[in-house]
Amino acid sequence: MGLGFIVGVFGVLILSHAAYSTIQYRGLLKIMEEEFSGPPMNVVLELLLGFVFCIWAALTVPGNFHSIHPDSEENRIVSLSANLDFMIFNHRAKAFPLEIEMKLKH
Amino acid sequence: MAGHSDSSSSEKKSGEAMTDVPTFSAENLQNNMKVIYYSRTFMSITGGVIAGIFGFTGFVGFIFYFLVMTITSIGLIAKAKFSVHSYFDSWNRIILDGLMGGLMSFVLFWTFAYDIVHIF
Repeated sequence: MGLGFIVGVFGVLILSHAAYSTIQYRGLLKIMEEEFSGPPMNVVLELLLGFVFCIWAALTVPGNFHSIHPDSEENRIVSLSANLDFMIFNHRAKAFPLEIEMKLKH
Repeated sequence: MAGHSDSSSSEKKSGEAMTDVPTFSAENLQNNMKVIYYSRTFMSITGGVIAGIFGFTGFVGFIFYFLVMTITSIGLIAKAKFSVHSYFDSWNRIILDGLMGGLMSFVLFWTFAYDIVHIF
């Protein structure tokens, strides 16, 4: 999750750098009074690179898929919700002496 | 008692008892849908920014959006290791879910990036 996040941030930084380059390119075109037909080749490469990084981050950061079959390997342990209805307090530990008494005897 | 019964916290869905119906853990399915939703939203935003920087206007931008979504779908299917049925209950979920919501985000960031780069 940490690495994917860093890759995603990197991709966003590359995209913003590409945007800045395009803004400067348009300023240059205005000075030379030409039409904007498309961003320059290096900006296109930057966009492609940023896109690849963002795809990688989008697929790894949100988390893994969990299998939905009830009998697959990773679904073998089931746990009840941590609900008060299911909590048991009437168990064998009441046979132990109280913690306070053990500390006093020590 | 607890070991033999089929009850568990992950809620199971099943159909009629006569045929051998597939049951699945809906909680895990929901988790998988959430993952798809996040992935698609982030890719829509990224695609929108790229379309704005490129300077697409009109129909070409929407074509670009569906191209980005197709690439995302292929990426998601690859992430599910191509065995879609062990993570989802139907193909439609992994291909169509989140498409229209992502379209809104795409158009928003497309106009945003286009304005920043080409107009101001």
